Amino acid sequence: MTSPILTLKDLSIDFPTPGGLVHAVKQLSLEIDPGRRVGFIGESGSGKTTTALAIMRMLAAPGKVASGEIRLGHDKTDVLALSEEDMRKARLGRVSYIPQGAMNSLNPIMRVENQMWDGIVAHEGKTDLAELQRRSDAALESVGLAAHVGRLYPHELSGGMKQRVCIALGVILTPELIIADEPTSALDVVTQKHVMQTLTRVQEDIGCGLILIGHDMGLMAQSVDELAVLKDGELVEHGDTRQIIENPQHPYTQDLISSVPLVGGPSFLSPAVSAPASQKEGPDPLLQFRDVSKRYGDVTALHPMSFALDGDVPQIISIVGQSGSGKSTMGSLMLGFNPPSSGEVLYEGKNLATLGAAQGLEFRKNVQAVFQDPYACFNPFYRVDHALKFPFKRFGLSQGDDHTQQAMEDACEAVGLDPNLILRRYPHQLSGGQRQRLIVARALMLSPKLLIADEPVSMVDASLRATILKNIYDLKDKHGISILYITHDLATAYHVSDYVIVLYQGRIAEAGPPKQVIGDPQHPYTQLLIDSIPWPDVNRPWGTVTGDADSQLKQLQDHPTMFRGVIDGFSLSTAA
Amino acid sequence: MGRIPPQYLINRLITLLLTVWIAATLIWIIPRLSPVDPAEIMLGRMAAGAGTVENADQILQSLRARFGLDDPLLVQYLKYIRNVVTFDFGLSTASFPTPVSHLIARALPWTLGLMIISVTITFFIGNALGALMVWERSPKLVRVAIPVAMIFTSIPPILSGLLLMYFLSAKMRLFPLTGSYGLTVEPGWTWSFAQSVMYHGFLPALSIVVVTFGFWALGMRGLMITVQGEDYTKLAEAKGLRPRYILYKYMIRNAILPQITAFALKIGLLVAGQILVERIFAYNGMGKLIYDAILDQDFPVIQGASYIIILMTALSVFLVDLIYPLIDPRIKHER
Amino acid sequence: MTDTTPTRAEHKLARKMKRFENPWMNPKLLWGAGILIGIIVLGLLGRIFWDPELVFTGSAPLKLPPIGFENLRKQAGIWDFPLGTDGAGRDLLALIIIGAPNSLFVGLLASCVGMGLGIFLGFSAGFIGGRTDDFIRVISDVMITIPPLLILVVFQAAYGDVSLTMMALLIAAFVWQSPTRLIRAQVLSMRESGYVQMARLSGASTMHIMFKEMLPNLVPYLFGSFIANVTTSIVTAVGLEVLGLGPQRIPTLGRTIYEAINSGALIQNLWWWWGIPTLLLAVMFIGLLLINLGLDEVSNPRLRKLS
Repeated sequence: MTSPILTLKDLSIDFPTPGGLVHAVKQLSLEIDPGRRVGFIGESGSGKTTTALAIMRMLAAPGKVASGEIRLGHDKTDVLALSEEDMRKARLGRVSYIPQGAMNSLNPIMRVENQMWDGIVAHEGKTDLAELQRRSDAALESVGLAAHVGRLYPHELSGGMKQRVCIALGVILTPELIIADEPTSALDVVTQKHVMQTLTRVQEDIGCGLILIGHDMGLMAQSVDELAVLKDGELVEHGDTRQIIENPQHPYTQDLISSVPLVGGPSFLSPAVSAPASQKEGPDPLLQFRDVSKRYGDVTALHPMSFALDGDVPQIISIVGQSGSGKSTMGSLMLGFNPPSSGEVLYEGKNLATLGAAQGLEFRKNVQAVFQDPYACFNPFYRVDHALKFPFKRFGLSQGDDHTQQAMEDACEAVGLDPNLILRRYPHQLSGGQRQRLIVARALMLSPKLLIADEPVSMVDASLRATILKNIYDLKDKHGISILYITHDLATAYHVSDYVIVLYQGRIAEAGPPKQVIGDPQHPYTQLLIDSIPWPDVNRPWGTVTGDADSQLKQLQDHPTMFRGVIDGFSLSTAA
Repeated sequence: MGRIPPQYLINRLITLLLTVWIAATLIWIIPRLSPVDPAEIMLGRMAAGAGTVENADQILQSLRARFGLDDPLLVQYLKYIRNVVTFDFGLSTASFPTPVSHLIARALPWTLGLMIISVTITFFIGNALGALMVWERSPKLVRVAIPVAMIFTSIPPILSGLLLMYFLSAKMRLFPLTGSYGLTVEPGWTWSFAQSVMYHGFLPALSIVVVTFGFWALGMRGLMITVQGEDYTKLAEAKGLRPRYILYKYMIRNAILPQITAFALKIGLLVAGQILVERIFAYNGMGKLIYDAILDQDFPVIQGASYIIILMTALSVFLVDLIYPLIDPRIKHER
Repeated sequence: MTDTTPTRAEHKLARKMKRFENPWMNPKLLWGAGILIGIIVLGLLGRIFWDPELVFTGSAPLKLPPIGFENLRKQAGIWDFPLGTDGAGRDLLALIIIGAPNSLFVGLLASCVGMGLGIFLGFSAGFIGGRTDDFIRVISDVMITIPPLLILVVFQAAYGDVSLTMMALLIAAFVWQSPTRLIRAQVLSMRESGYVQMARLSGASTMHIMFKEMLPNLVPYLFGSFIANVTTSIVTAVGLEVLGLGPQRIPTLGRTIYEAINSGALIQNLWWWWGIPTLLLAVMFIGLLLINLGLDEVSNPRLRKLS
């Protein structure tokens, strides 16, 4: 029987705030055995990062450990009793930390290898340069990076490479425990899979314990041995991953698992029985791209493509892609925020570039959007009702203040918000989920003909995602609004859309109805994407790393577009 | 360390040339718009010296010809630009016929010397103190005392100069009241002369330092607080690095970068402040030269000296801009 | 936590915590504003309760010391001229009553005009972009390098006497650069922000976006930049005055210092002559600095640390 590598006993952490003492972590007890991977899962504010920082003794002031014990290693070192200097030595040497924001975790003005060397020197004293070089090269190699990467500056690395550098840094002194705090939250799924597998392989190589902090049940299910579910600072469930995924006891755990949409799984939507009438007038398609392309300098963000969305029947068209695929460029072209480099964007047969003032206002009224970041969408200077009231009046929909007020309240209720609690508040007083629902309410109030939803749920807590998507789906289902749904998430696209376009580096990789494209992908890129999605299913093999993500992706660039079927009311083609 | 990207270099060079050209043009245009005629001022001075001047009109005319005031404006302007490029500002009207460039050449080393010393000291002290105010391990005294001292740093150097001069020179007689070296020492590369220069230069330098370090300290404080919250500083701590090492290599090294940009923007005001300090200390630099020229209405000297100071300022900004990409590797990727 | 009555330290902490709630109730800001208002009140009340005619040459005995001091000729200060008189027989109290508000006036006017220019140019550069942006950017880069004092020296040496307003307007020509740069940078980043895109979606006009959506959020920055410009303008004005330039017929603090130095007031130990205007200016600058520090804390909450 091995002794645990980390023992937390009745750990409580308090933060004094203007509103009084906040108990960030309450009576947490947990043991981690050597070589085990333990996932800390919970939503923001559940105390998972706070616990990790307490183990490193790096809690941000004024937070402090109120009671309890933290013991590290076989010798049961009392972490809380260590001197400053001993604690400093223990960091990286015995416990290493892989931070969340890999984008900014490296010193921008130091070469990567220097940032590995200073860690070694701080623990082992002056070391021979050749020896330092050998060890940093070896560490980089262990995470699948070439030795020359060490001589680059952080801004010359991609996000995935930076995160690997952080992993290499974390294992350079072969610690007893690695704490990885949402190491892949800023990466896209293909890179996420590669980085996660690098991390678990390196961890297995040195046989240390691993704490993986995260909020994604799918990622947890595919990477850790044990799960610790935290809610509001309390450990609500702890046990073997398989056992928790297959038989969750606590209702919160059940919520976390069911909030992950699955490709082919049960739908979280309940379509209305009778389809509503479309709001469209006239014979021209609602929105049309005619050989549209977009270049920024030398970079082609979007290769020429044409499509026509008739809008006779409300439909949801999903545009799926990872960062840099050109999907947000498409959104901004459709909204007329950006002119195309070639081709025309037409709204009801009229070119957006030549709309007059009155037509422009008409276009704005009828084509609305929901953006990714609900925090940025409200002007911090005004109460939130400004964002609803202003366009309503501007588009001439208002018949007086009472009418506006009534419309705002109705729209709020339609998305499940209490207007009395919400409308007169300032944006910072609302949660991200509340704000995003308000934006959906705004769209509903203006009743446009078309809604562009650009990653509407990617910045919202997982438990709220389904609700907001349902709100958006209702816009089509109950109010007859056609929707272009831009997302990186294949699973939700599978459920909500009538047609799916998979974009890769500005080109269409695969397009067709979701049952074909996502349910039975034929294009290697779509296959890769679907393989990379982590599912809350312990039995599903997540594959093993073969080669480098970047080179793997490069080969897919020239693969021809695959059209997988057509639907009425929407036609798509690439330039010949 | 980084290399200077060519596009960046070209942009900076264009800004430098534009600055110098615009300044030179302003200096030329402004007096031309004025109703005052420099030739008449000269004549007035001669009249004041000799009681009456015979054939005044003739002299006036020859003076106008001499200053080229009869040429068409464009010709005057082009000649002026040509002269400015060759540092030929004509002759001083007050100490006729000394070339203005000689007067400037005599005054400039004093100003440059004082400036380099005082600016370097303030920049270092200010940034060091600003960094220490934020660092968690600084002695408590530092974190409490500096903000109090900073209150005085909003005062322009001319006022601090007056106060220091009154207390340390006039009252306590620790330092000489005015001048840039003692009347009894002979200028030259001798120890006694050097001593005298340092002795005389101490107060002007001090009056600049005491009131300008706070600007840097305040700026540094803000930047350090930002850097303190950065992920890389947190990771540095998690790497178990020594606190001092983190302070130098991670915090100060990053926080100093915007300060260097600010330095380039601030040079103009620093120079102006120093000109005034030189004037009250009757220090033999450009400040005194300009002040005397104002008293004498010596136009060529005012123009020449102003132009040279602006040129020095623009050159220092250019130098700072050249150094910048060497210490920030990211600049290559910007336009 | 156990239930105990709060200690003094906890009270103090609670008070500090309260500061997070309303950033505008910032002690530095209040003190700074108090000092400046004090100077304005001094100017207003002074004109009522004191005789402003005393600023003219020869209206009083020469070189009298303030109350409670003696000058070199063993004359004691008298209540008729409580702050003493200068070498030309002008009453110093009257001088500062007239002079101090003049300095503030120059600073505020120059800064207002500069700020107006800055807002106009900054928004133009940020919104129109392209060549307009390049032009404004390069010109403000260039003009920020040129020390205003020198160009103004050339100007005033050529023109002789100027009025206070004229001097303020001349200084304004050199203080528009930093607000321009600041606004341009903010406008460029705000243009991409969610709420500006939302406003565009709402059919808002460019004017609405600039003044209703962006400007309110710029206020703390603009205010800070404004105060910094007031400081720069006063420094420049005082600098010109100390060089003997600037308005010749209106009493200003800088001109008083100029005359004091020229008459050898330092050697003759006539400290009140230059010292009182110097101190008053110093207090004014301290007030401005306090306001600026306070504003910094308002716009950057991270500066409001608990330590």
